[in-house]
Amino acid sequence: MLFFRSEERVREWCAAHGYPMRPLVTMDQLWTLATTWYSTRLQENSRRPKPDEMRSLFARLGLADDFWDPQSDSFG
Amino acid sequence: MSFDTRTKLAIYRHFAETGQKPSLQVVAERVHADVSSVREAYVRLCAQRVLVLEPDGVSIRMAPPFSAVSTQHVVIVDDTKYFANCAWDSFGIPAALQRAGQVHSRCEQSGEPLNLEIDLNGPPSCSWLFHCLVPAAKWWDDIVFT
Repeated sequence: MLFFRSEERVREWCAAHGYPMRPLVTMDQLWTLATTWYSTRLQENSRRPKPDEMRSLFARLGLADDFWDPQSDSFG
Repeated sequence: MSFDTRTKLAIYRHFAETGQKPSLQVVAERVHADVSSVREAYVRLCAQRVLVLEPDGVSIRMAPPFSAVSTQHVVIVDDTKYFANCAWDSFGIPAALQRAGQVHSRCEQSGEPLNLEIDLNGPPSCSWLFHCLVPAAKWWDDIVFT
């Protein structure tokens, strides 16, 4: 899970390593993911999002394909 | 509060206060328990995916978003230096601490430095991107690689 300056830099990095290019996430989207995952982490009642909650969050952010499905077997 | 929750909070609060991992002994002291009980709690916390241990089964590698080892993702909050496990977790540290901070990282391809001031509303408008290579269903197959 890495930062890149632009889509072109992602494309270059994937090509250099023989990796597939995955869906790109903006900084605003990443902040929403980070706050959802971690904003209660130091509190007594914190817990990780469950799979259906993850799916719902990703969908709200427009990250709705199988890549983001925590239970998808499409990438087995 | 359950023993596992007290153990988890002891670990996380130590990271929050110091930026560093606690030893098994320190956690045991914080929860007023023997180390063997804490080790057993570690196993359960790993199963809950809130803790990752080194191969020795005792030393903490990750208490996400905190990293116990140096990484390229550095976060500064209130003069305390933290290492994040990944780009996602670098935003997760200010989120977890509910404090403003600075995120320092880099473009993985070009090496260009990234320096962001994060406030309680998130990062400033910014055209940088986040890329995750591993599909969500596979993240925990090898969380260190992910």
